[in-house]
Amino acid sequence: MLNVSVISPEATLFEGEAPSITAPAFDGEVGILAGHAPMVTVLGTGTLKVGNGPSFTVSGGFLQVVDNQVRVVTESASKA
Amino acid sequence: MAKGRELVGRIKSTENTRKITRTMEMVSASKMKRAMDRVIAARPYATALGDVISSLYNPELAESFPLLRQPQTTKRAAIILITSNRGLAGAFSANLIKEARALITRLESEGTEVELHAVGKKGIGYFKYVGRPLATQRNDISDRPTAADAASLVDALMHQFIDGSLDAVYVVQSVYKSALSAPPHSTRVLPVARPEQKRAQKDYLLYPSAAAILTELLPAYVRNAVYRALVETVAAEHSARRTAMKNATDNATDMLTLYRRDYNRARQANITQEIAEIVGGASALQG
Repeated sequence: MLNVSVISPEATLFEGEAPSITAPAFDGEVGILAGHAPMVTVLGTGTLKVGNGPSFTVSGGFLQVVDNQVRVVTESASKA
Repeated sequence: MAKGRELVGRIKSTENTRKITRTMEMVSASKMKRAMDRVIAARPYATALGDVISSLYNPELAESFPLLRQPQTTKRAAIILITSNRGLAGAFSANLIKEARALITRLESEGTEVELHAVGKKGIGYFKYVGRPLATQRNDISDRPTAADAASLVDALMHQFIDGSLDAVYVVQSVYKSALSAPPHSTRVLPVARPEQKRAQKDYLLYPSAAAILTELLPAYVRNAVYRALVETVAAEHSARRTAMKNATDNATDMLTLYRRDYNRARQANITQEIAEIVGGASALQG
């Protein structure tokens, strides 16, 4: 399982476990499963899906994966 | 009973004032609570940004980032002064203005040109009064500052810093330490302090590249510093207003005790006098 947190400047929008996430990276969608190598990538604009759970519209910021911890840090995010 | 009636009027007016100040105290207390929640909610973002920036940072990269340039001499600096739009908060805005003036004096004595950007009616009003020109003035930032507000404040300054027409940007804000202590403070947001390099660096896969990620994140970091200054100052403003209104309520209570004592004394004296007059009158009739 992945430990996911979605953070915007104003608030932490989501924190919890998910089997996978799909995020809009700067050059297209990127999917992340448990056991992913440590990675930092810049995000573009699009929809972030957390497993089968909530999805968010995000724009800008970055995504960091390390030891099954995923941090999506974005400049603007809202529940989609 | 002229004195008595006058005192009744005063008691009523003090009671009304106390009602207002007590309500304002309660309103500020609840607003402070919400502002505090926003200060806390803003922390994870700052931590996450700081973590990633310091893990990507290395001195060679720093050379190529205009936002990380460290000017040897500061020729021109900008100060963003954050004050409140409303009064009745004790010395809150006055303290911030004092801090800003001290900073201006210090920078100018070092030969730096200072441009002032004021947020909040109180700051704008003061500098208009002393006749110091303001580079920009904003009074449209509400009780609930957003990241967009912060961006609109600092983006233009960031561009000026990048093209070299500004060498430093300071924010004069309140640091919310606790409900009782929120001292004014000048924070330097630009140039960005060099992040400390972490010892144990993870081998990250970086897309597109460390440089590109930093290009994206450094402005976000600066905007976030300003955003946090805004939310903290709002929390401090409400806490200052709460304290001021609590003092006003307490003072009104003290005054009421005194007025009521005077009133009762006057009333009693009046009764005593009436009795004395009746007794006097009766004994005159008997005599």
